[in-house]
Amino acid sequence: MACFGAAKMWMPRESSSLADLLADARVWKLKDASAAPSRPVWSTGNSALDARLPGGGWPTASLVEVLIGATGLGEVQLFLPALVECQRKADVEIPWLVWIAPPYEPYAPALAQQGIDLARLLVVQPATATEALWAAEQALGSGVCAAVLLWLKGTDDRWLRRLKLAAEAGRALGVLFRPERHRFESSPASLRLALTSAQSGAQTAPQPRLELLKVQGGRPGFVDLAAP
Amino acid sequence: MFAVAEVPPALAAAAAPTPAAAPVPAAAPVPAAAPVPAAAPVPAAAPVPTRRTRLWYAVVFPHLLVPPSTAAAGAPPPGLEVLCLHAQSFTSCVSIEPPNALLLEVKGSLRLFESLEHLHGLLDARWQSLGITTHSAIAPSTLAALWCARVGFSACIHEPTLLASRLASLPVACTVWDAERLRSLRSMGITRLGELLRLPRAGLARRLGVAAVRDLDIATGREAEPRRAFVARQRFRERMDFEAEIENVAYLERACEPVLGRCARFLRERQAGVQALQLRLRHRDGPATLVRLGLAGITGEQRRLADVLGERLARVELPAPVRALELVSGRLQPLSAASLDVFGACGRGAGPDTAQRLVERLRARLGESAVYGVAAIPDHRPEAAWRRVQELLLDPDGAPLANAAAAAVPWDPMPRPLWLFDMPVLLADAKSPQRQGWVLEHGPERIESGWWDGKGVARDYYCVREGHGGKLWIFQERRTKSWYLHGVFA
Repeated sequence: MACFGAAKMWMPRESSSLADLLADARVWKLKDASAAPSRPVWSTGNSALDARLPGGGWPTASLVEVLIGATGLGEVQLFLPALVECQRKADVEIPWLVWIAPPYEPYAPALAQQGIDLARLLVVQPATATEALWAAEQALGSGVCAAVLLWLKGTDDRWLRRLKLAAEAGRALGVLFRPERHRFESSPASLRLALTSAQSGAQTAPQPRLELLKVQGGRPGFVDLAAP
Repeated sequence: MFAVAEVPPALAAAAAPTPAAAPVPAAAPVPAAAPVPAAAPVPAAAPVPTRRTRLWYAVVFPHLLVPPSTAAAGAPPPGLEVLCLHAQSFTSCVSIEPPNALLLEVKGSLRLFESLEHLHGLLDARWQSLGITTHSAIAPSTLAALWCARVGFSACIHEPTLLASRLASLPVACTVWDAERLRSLRSMGITRLGELLRLPRAGLARRLGVAAVRDLDIATGREAEPRRAFVARQRFRERMDFEAEIENVAYLERACEPVLGRCARFLRERQAGVQALQLRLRHRDGPATLVRLGLAGITGEQRRLADVLGERLARVELPAPVRALELVSGRLQPLSAASLDVFGACGRGAGPDTAQRLVERLRARLGESAVYGVAAIPDHRPEAAWRRVQELLLDPDGAPLANAAAAAVPWDPMPRPLWLFDMPVLLADAKSPQRQGWVLEHGPERIESGWWDGKGVARDYYCVREGHGGKLWIFQERRTKSWYLHGVFA
């Protein structure tokens, strides 16, 4: 009985089939990384990282949270190849990229050097964190943005859930950069990464270390970015 | 009627006062030959329009007050615009002649008003009913009508050929030429236009300037001077009084909806859009609260206007409950075809979100300057190689062009940091790269440029990896040998 009730709740319309429901971004399926993804992914440009992510790349229509130990560890660089690729591959209209509350001015020549289409980049500098979250929700849900990058010092769980829903509705990738101290807080993001500096040998230059904290449909753990 | 019979002698008379007109071919025997062949086969009695002339009705308001501010700017005084609207009920072509006159083209209205006398009577009755003193005159040339009206000579000249003889008795001052020109005329002993028209053209042009001769040509109908019809400025303006006072901004947004709907219909009927709107919220006492709306593009869509208004209203703090609101649109602008939507009239919820709408919403809440784009500039100095862009290319068609422009800029092959500091941060001696044990990754790259505008730089840039693994962009000032941090590779 209970099963029938649940099935009815899952089918709001007569026409929706099981395949349609599974294609819905809000449905979370447990599966291993090799399975074909239900929604498109963007290659990260790093084969070691691609291999660890379900579908082989950054998930679209979802929220990714990056916890950073310090600025300058290459946190934006992680996403730039994917952003360039999604702008280049666009067939009808080049999608917009929105950067909200970046800690410093995004340097246009560096972005152009990487291949970002500057005419389709929007920088938003809100006065408060609430306005930044509101702007991110608007941009994610608008359906005209491919990716929204948001820098925040701290936020509550409820707002993150709203961002995730907006990202799913607008089929956009939301990337949230937060300080590393939020590592042990719960988060609705479908992918959580931590980027920290490694304390390796004294003579060699310290390299940033990437750790997957939460991967829906994958295994958490450290990723060696330098591996071929 | 008698034009055919009159043409040759009249033309001769018109040419007579200016013997020096020979070099101008228009006044030579050509005109005498031109009308005759066309007119010859036609019986003299037939009502044939011999020439496509216009008939101008000039009206001067001698007691109209002209504020000094508008007089200095050359703008028509506001009272004249109101009178112009009255005049537009008689003809479609009304032009404002600063400082205090109107010029109406009445030839086109003769059929509607049956005869010139009838129309003239109606016009005079209109001015009388407004209680204004006027001087009016009718002539086939603009300046002739104006000059007659200015001196109060209520002439009614039908034939262009009669212009020269009828204007002859007017005083020279009616031309409102500048004082110096009038003074030189007085010293020449010329007080009437007739005396002026008799003078040789070449000498006249030398003494008074070519503009004066051209004025005379226009007045005597030898040269046409088209006028631009006045188009009244249109705005949507509507006031709505509420039955109960509204304290809540959310209710206010709902209350605005019908007015906004009428505004959108007003714009749709005129195939126009607006880029600015003003909402005036009136309270029981105290000054009204003004809410200004700016849009990223010209639009007449109700949904977009409502979106922006909603965001803007959410930020408004009401000092007191609102009793009435007034919506005033900005200047109406023609709508480009691209922004029209086939299903635009279907109401709210139709059509997907666009980048333009997103930017408008963000700007309405966060402020104009908080939402911007960035552009690269080909300059070797890092701080001069970019700028903020407020005008975004929101039009989907504009993108490929910008893309091509970006690709044309030759990029330095050297790495550039993603974050650039506004001002380079000076690294104290104790923090110099060598002492910190930072590891060199790339460099040096010498940038020496900008000596021409006083902001010259001479620096050696290095990419280094600092102790925590962060990648920094630092430079050494070549002159002072001090180290600065300029950017971060994020």
